[in-house]
Amino acid sequence: MSLKNIILERDKYLIPLIVGFIPFLFLMLFYFYPLAGIFIRSFFDQNNFTLQGILSFNLLNFLKIFKSSRILSIIWFTFWQASLSTILTLIVALPCSYVMGTFEFKGKKLIMTLATLPFVLPTIVVAASFQIIPSLIQDMALLLLNSQVVNLLLGDILKNSLLDNQFLNVFKNEYPIVMIFFAHVFYNFSVVLRITSSFWSSFSKDMKEAASILGASSFQIFFKVTLPLLRPAIFASAMLVFIFCFSSFGVVLILGGPSFSTIEVEIYRQAAHLFNLPVASTLSLSQILFTFGMMLLYTRMQKKIAMFTPESEKFSLKKPCSAIEKLLVSLSILFILLLCGLPMVALLLKSIYYKGTLSLIFYRELFLNSSGSIFYVSPVVAISNSLIFASITLIMALIVGGCAAILIKQCSYKDQNLGININSRINRKLTIKKYISSLQILFGKMLEPIFMLPLSTSAVTLGFGMIITLDKPPLNLRTSLFLIPIIHTLVAFPFVVRAVLPALKSIPLSLKEAASIMGASPFRVWLHIELPIIARALSIGAVFAFTVSLGEFGAALFAARPEFTTMPITIYKLLGQPGIMNYGQAMAMSSILMLVTSIGFIFIESIRQFGHEGF
Amino acid sequence: MNELVIKNLCVKDRELSADAAYKGEFEYILKDINISINRGDSLSILGPSGCGKTTLLRTIAGLQNPYSGEIFFRQKNMADVPTHKRNFGMMFQDFALFPHKNVFQNISFGLEMKKLSKKEIALRVQEMLELVNLEQYGKRDIRELSGGERQRVALARTLAPSPDLIMLDEPLGALDKQLRERLLDDLRFILNRSISKIAKTEKIKSNLNQIEVNNAITTIWVTHDHNEAFAVSDIVCVMSSGKVEQIDSTENLRNRPANRVVADFLGL
Repeated sequence: MSLKNIILERDKYLIPLIVGFIPFLFLMLFYFYPLAGIFIRSFFDQNNFTLQGILSFNLLNFLKIFKSSRILSIIWFTFWQASLSTILTLIVALPCSYVMGTFEFKGKKLIMTLATLPFVLPTIVVAASFQIIPSLIQDMALLLLNSQVVNLLLGDILKNSLLDNQFLNVFKNEYPIVMIFFAHVFYNFSVVLRITSSFWSSFSKDMKEAASILGASSFQIFFKVTLPLLRPAIFASAMLVFIFCFSSFGVVLILGGPSFSTIEVEIYRQAAHLFNLPVASTLSLSQILFTFGMMLLYTRMQKKIAMFTPESEKFSLKKPCSAIEKLLVSLSILFILLLCGLPMVALLLKSIYYKGTLSLIFYRELFLNSSGSIFYVSPVVAISNSLIFASITLIMALIVGGCAAILIKQCSYKDQNLGININSRINRKLTIKKYISSLQILFGKMLEPIFMLPLSTSAVTLGFGMIITLDKPPLNLRTSLFLIPIIHTLVAFPFVVRAVLPALKSIPLSLKEAASIMGASPFRVWLHIELPIIARALSIGAVFAFTVSLGEFGAALFAARPEFTTMPITIYKLLGQPGIMNYGQAMAMSSILMLVTSIGFIFIESIRQFGHEGF
Repeated sequence: MNELVIKNLCVKDRELSADAAYKGEFEYILKDINISINRGDSLSILGPSGCGKTTLLRTIAGLQNPYSGEIFFRQKNMADVPTHKRNFGMMFQDFALFPHKNVFQNISFGLEMKKLSKKEIALRVQEMLELVNLEQYGKRDIRELSGGERQRVALARTLAPSPDLIMLDEPLGALDKQLRERLLDDLRFILNRSISKIAKTEKIKSNLNQIEVNNAITTIWVTHDHNEAFAVSDIVCVMSSGKVEQIDSTENLRNRPANRVVADFLGL
């Protein structure tokens, strides 16, 4: 074998090794290591992490905190609010998804995009917009009650009694919990809508017609055919909603006030306010275990869905004909407009409404440093921080996610896996290679779930883990500019993998072989064939990473030092400060964040190739 | 002069399960293949699907590594030559046209890889488009083309860089019967014409005499249809389950099939 060939042979191993090394190192260092830190701290006494300490390990240490009635009530609240939110979301979304999955009408894509918009909005924006709704309702009610018409109709006495009998105050006192549910429904509506409606539309008409010919009434068809078929999709989407609500952070923290707390919020409070790391660790660990379990169940469910879904969608869609059908369609359009559009419009209006007039004063104020305090971080700094972090996240997520996708592809690709070359002239290497190839195939199957793991871990937990583990040299990230982008990359890169992998897999082997036969070296094959084909998917991943980073709240709140304050943190702080100016600025900044995220999302929707809906 | 010589070629299955790989169980896809063809020969490889025809082509192209045995092209051992340096041409069964490039860019790809100038590329592509009767199609998107048009583009793309060896993997396989019959004649005609065209350019480079050069391009045509095989080639190689059953001229094959398998497959 010539020297050149030996180098070539080595390169075949070297390039995949480097490509595979990047995402692995990243996961090891910034995911598994911090999680291990949480694990250790929840089982062992913090100061006693010696051999003796390890030996004295007992489960009681771990279970100790569950004796606290406060913690128990928090866990109970987390469960029941997540369950109720899920049920409410299903009740609201399923009728709409029936309409969306049955009828085809003009502007449907627009409505679906609008319905999905809340899901991609930053939690802080959702929380901010729901915080203003009660006051908006109150304002409107007062306006109504003070108007002449009401005066005439009800008379002064009745009006005064209405104002007095605390009708509004009752609402005001109860609204935190009501608003949490509203926000959760708003946020997760599209999850159920998209998963079930795309599944609903995939039923062919034949199936229902066959049932009808066999003597089933339309009532029976629904309960015996449609519903059983739909069940996995409903369960899967419900599970996803449950996971999201279970680990809800920003919404509960802001809307719930001090009286309501999920496990996620409690982790933050215990760690950041009370410095009670063992309790925070134990809670984190329990939460991780629980969400892992749920995610596992979800992926099982998802496989079931995938099994059922026929390839040809949209065939069973029809135009609404009868008056009832038209009414149904218009009602659900109206409902979606109200549910998804109203909070966003309210937020925008609040941001430009100042003392009875429309004004851009809040936006202007964002760019002025009116306070002389040295602790004051101007909103402009926050905006630039956010942009810098989002850009770093974008680059890192593309590198890590892209490499991970290539690695998964390589390993699932038995033919060319890492260039295994079974040639008689290198016989002595054959046995080793045989082992490598068999290991590789097993390994390839594990890879995808491994790279999806960060998705099932909450950002607060990630931030917490990183702060407690990566705080000493050589890797001290506590004060580093990169801490926040790294956490954001952990959250964002699985999305890049999800976007890029199908595109990579869709490239037929013959395409690359054809290029190779025509004289393209492996690098040029990559440059001219693979890269242009996955460019679209890469750009989707890039936009996703960017918007995720812009809007991420939990981890940033946990880990960001004052000088690295981001936009969501600033909104949170502004919301917590008294005065109309602060409040208005929070609205203004939320609006900016909302607009940027919406534009990003609309961009993704418009360049997505196929009508492949779902998550 | 022997253009392509294949000696004792064996290829083992690499699409194996983890279990089989672990135990070291390998299946032979190609077993002890010996083929030798002269410059300008047109060889058909004929056999039922799954008999290893495509694997043989891929091994010649260097897309698959042999387990043992050697391949010589113009007296040069091909083992150390990577695919992209072999200067072969191959037309894939599914055509493998690049979906992100238009017709012109697809055909020019091989020429760009040879680092030809833009002017030369434009000239050559136009020539190829004329050859396959798609003069006006340069700017078309691949998705807009019909099956027959795609086949022509794939052929033009294969011929454009003037390869030393042309391999066609079931070039008519993806098309319906009527189209196949019509395109078979076209394909033969184009191949013959292009071969003389490529030969002309070759003539300038080499100082070989005209007659030799006119038959300079060797083609290998893979098919499972014996009518197709007999129609397009001088020599036919009949394969079944990874082995060569008989390799002979079309006449000899028809008159004296070596064994029962060959006779059955030829429908004799």
